[in-house]
Amino acid sequence: MSAYETVVGLEVHAQLKTRSKIFCCCSTTFGARPNTQVCPTCLGLPGVLPVLNERAVRFAVMTGLAVGSTVAERSVFARKNYFYPDLPKGYQISQYDRPLCVGGGVDIQVDGSTKRIGLVRIHLEEDAGKSIHPEGREGVTTTLVDLNRSGVPLIEIVSEPEIRSGAEAYDYLVRLKQTLVYLDVCDGNMEEGSLRCDANVSVRPKGRKEFGTKAEIKNMNSFRNVERAIAFETDRQIRILESGGRVVQETLLWNADQGVAEPMRSKEEAHDYRYFPEPDLLPLDLEPGWIDSVRRELPELPHQVRARLTSLGIPEYDAEVLTETRALSRYFEETASRAGNAKLASNWIMTEVNGIRNKQGQSIEEFPIRPDRLGSLVKMIAEGRISGKIGKQLFELMLTRAESPEELVKSQGLLPIDDEDSLRALAREVIAANPGPAAEVRAGKERTFAFLVGQAMKQSRGRAHPEKIQDALRKELEKA
Amino acid sequence: MPIDAKVVHQVAALSRLEVDPAEEGRFVQELQAILAYVEQLQALDVSGIEPTSQVGAGERTPLREDVVIPSDVRDEALAQAPDRDGDYFRVPRVV
Amino acid sequence: MSPEIVAQETAESIGRAVQSRERSAVDVARTFLDRAERTASRLGTYLHRDPAATLAMAADVDARLGAGETLGPLAGVPVALKDNLCAHGVPTTCGSRILEGYRPPYDASVVIRLRDAGAVFTGKTNCDEFAMGSSTENSAYHPTRNPWDLERVPGGSSGGSAATVAALEAPLALGSDTGGSVRQPAAFCGVYGLKPTYGAVSRYGLVAFASSLDQIGPLARTARDTALLYNAICGRDERDMTSRAEAKPIPVEELERGVRGMKLGIPRDLTAEGLDPEIRASLDGVAKALAEEGAEILDVTLPHARYSIATYYLIAPAEASSNLARYDGVRYGFRAKSEDLRSMYEATRGQGFGREVRRRILLGTYALSAGYYDAYYLRAMKVRTLIRKDFSDALERADAILLPTTPTPPFKLGEKVDDPLAMYLNDVFSIPASLAGAPALSFPTGMTRSGLPIGMQLVGRPFAEGTLLRIARTWERRNPDGLRVPPLAEGRA
Repeated sequence: MSAYETVVGLEVHAQLKTRSKIFCCCSTTFGARPNTQVCPTCLGLPGVLPVLNERAVRFAVMTGLAVGSTVAERSVFARKNYFYPDLPKGYQISQYDRPLCVGGGVDIQVDGSTKRIGLVRIHLEEDAGKSIHPEGREGVTTTLVDLNRSGVPLIEIVSEPEIRSGAEAYDYLVRLKQTLVYLDVCDGNMEEGSLRCDANVSVRPKGRKEFGTKAEIKNMNSFRNVERAIAFETDRQIRILESGGRVVQETLLWNADQGVAEPMRSKEEAHDYRYFPEPDLLPLDLEPGWIDSVRRELPELPHQVRARLTSLGIPEYDAEVLTETRALSRYFEETASRAGNAKLASNWIMTEVNGIRNKQGQSIEEFPIRPDRLGSLVKMIAEGRISGKIGKQLFELMLTRAESPEELVKSQGLLPIDDEDSLRALAREVIAANPGPAAEVRAGKERTFAFLVGQAMKQSRGRAHPEKIQDALRKELEKA
Repeated sequence: MPIDAKVVHQVAALSRLEVDPAEEGRFVQELQAILAYVEQLQALDVSGIEPTSQVGAGERTPLREDVVIPSDVRDEALAQAPDRDGDYFRVPRVV
Repeated sequence: MSPEIVAQETAESIGRAVQSRERSAVDVARTFLDRAERTASRLGTYLHRDPAATLAMAADVDARLGAGETLGPLAGVPVALKDNLCAHGVPTTCGSRILEGYRPPYDASVVIRLRDAGAVFTGKTNCDEFAMGSSTENSAYHPTRNPWDLERVPGGSSGGSAATVAALEAPLALGSDTGGSVRQPAAFCGVYGLKPTYGAVSRYGLVAFASSLDQIGPLARTARDTALLYNAICGRDERDMTSRAEAKPIPVEELERGVRGMKLGIPRDLTAEGLDPEIRASLDGVAKALAEEGAEILDVTLPHARYSIATYYLIAPAEASSNLARYDGVRYGFRAKSEDLRSMYEATRGQGFGREVRRRILLGTYALSAGYYDAYYLRAMKVRTLIRKDFSDALERADAILLPTTPTPPFKLGEKVDDPLAMYLNDVFSIPASLAGAPALSFPTGMTRSGLPIGMQLVGRPFAEGTLLRIARTWERRNPDGLRVPPLAEGRA
């Protein structure tokens, strides 16, 4: 075990799913033709002014409430001044010393127990545009600028430096994303850039209270890469310290292909952002009554849904899987309700449904068997009307056919055989077709009885009632 | 806090302003004079005073509804770009 | 020019004549265009004029009236726009080389309102670069001359707007006022200039200088005309979150109600020193006259007003340094040739901005930078609170404050341009109201012995523009020869 511990704080930027940008009415849709979702305001033309989007505020407040932050009744926007081609005004409107939310936390699972990672703050700000540096082309000396993204609303969520490993960081990001997606305030997609993460990493000898020098790591485009980058940086810093060196405070870029964090190429001067209160926006004053109404209207959060599931007898692990997305948890609850058996519904979803989905890369919304049909199927099995085996056959059929399980059972001739006469007839057929084994059983060889039962099931394509066919066989064997 | 040529250069760098060596001395002098003048504010007792960053008084300002209104300035705006590449604004490369 | 003709030149009478179809808007436009032809290049009032476009606008107004549309009091009235106001497709330089050739793809909110009202634009007037200055000598293109004495400044930064109204090239103009830039040139040119309450007029489309101080303001030759233009542009605009619904049009007949029973406060502490004797005499004369009209004159104090210039010259440059960061050569305007981005920024801004602008950007950046923010910008914001409180205290005892607009009459071109601090000290009487966000009006109250205009200033409670204009109108009624015309405009100079 290492004599050092890793200290990590994460800064997550989440794009809010508003229809329009934070300070103007341009669309926020991803992937549009460059510079087509722009207007004088987000282009930073002379004379423009920002007008704050109510839904951006609402989404930010919802996030703060969901993670237990205190929502400030008054928060203040501030200008963060720096020059970059995709920052049209030469400043970003953000929040500085009076952010929208303070405190709160995200619960993560570490070695089977729950640990709360505290949050420092959540604040609102605007996104910058995109600078495209055409890479690898000989003699290219220009940068291209697309301002579609300029002005898209962001929340910045800053954690306390309480994360102690890449794995913890991974779980933190999974949980945080889940909350954002459940609230439907953010798509949480790191590949598309609707969720971004920077990590501040330092190490210190175990037991030491003071923080070591931290490095900031950027350019990690997936949760796994965050985990890998933290692991890499931890090693790098420990090696430096153990060889008697000192860690330099710097910004590093994660190189996913090489698996290393490299210092940024340009020697950056220390940033002096010259923050001051944004004079074009009055302080954001929120009435306690409004905040309360947002709190009341909060949708159910993952931990609340999980608690409900475990109270239905679903094991914790299963509850985690079933609440991965709100859509999946809804799917489960509707199926369970229709089936009248939560446990069985859970098994079917986790094994059969998710099995197919993972193979096909399908979302639960795309899955062809909806809760009503699946629920009916599970109900039939739960009530013993069909066997699990028949159930699986029906399931396969239902993937490509639209009929209900009841209809399919009839049309496919999968009705169970459980009446005395049919079973007896079946038993006679099986005995007649297998005289040798029948004789063995009559002679006392019990083991061969299972073979006869198997033949009966095979002949009936699984439709024979598993217990009753045994009765029928025994009775027929007694004759003659 | 004295302003000298070094400070002027640092501030010029922060604000991305080229300062001609010929004017440098003059800027230093003028800025020194202005800062000497504003020093008088240091004499005031401002303890407990809230700063005014906005004088807008009155009712709470309503926020904007989240509605998309497409703008048609795109072509005119791009046409005025000092340099462009099709749909993009183009600048010398960020080093 | 006979007083009768001059009287016909008011926006009010023009608007009435056009609305009643007695005169066509085209005829009105032609009259003013012809006059400007004779004087505009000598005065340097404009940076952009397009007579054909002006006539087309006027023709459009006539067509609307002909089609039966009802237009308000500004129908067919020519209005000049300061060159830091955005008009769609019209060159807007803010007096700077960095925006040479720039044409905004949108209209400022006030421009939209004026178009709807049937006003006719005469062109874009000259100003100090990005509204930074008190003489219009900081325009990168050319200076503007005072119509009363061509060797003197018209004031600034809205010098072009004030001079064009004074010289009868247009009956109305819009300027912008951050620390006095509408009021001081109004005083220097002998016309009315109003800085509305902060938030009374939308700033959307006004190229920002100092966002917490800027206001668009009307310039005119009479009190009633000033009200008419204010009425057309005031009020809440959803494109400007700092604009206020409390700002409402002034019923013009309110201006005739006199000042009986009103209390006017004079801040003797502020006016004790540094005041030109003729201006002091004018102040005393105005106070006496208004007392004769039934106002009560009392002394008020504004104990912290003497710190206004220092406060302003930290806050305004700080905000300006941020507002002007967008002029980087990336998306519009001038761009210097260079190999890499950093030198592109530095050369573009170094060459595109004039000296005063660069000076203020350096000053403002310094005031905001790490280690200096508390001592400079933050402290200035606190002193601003003290100054605001001085005004609200004084305005509990008085309905309006009366003081000079400027400490001196118009100075000569070139006299102060090399001494920035001396130039800043001109604003001693105008800056305090800007810091307080209070409405402030400069009205012409006489001439110096050498024939230069003198203006007095009234400062009021929030959204009390009507009160200020009423007081000025009372003075105006007592001085019917007040509609003066500079010799140059009469063709005598």
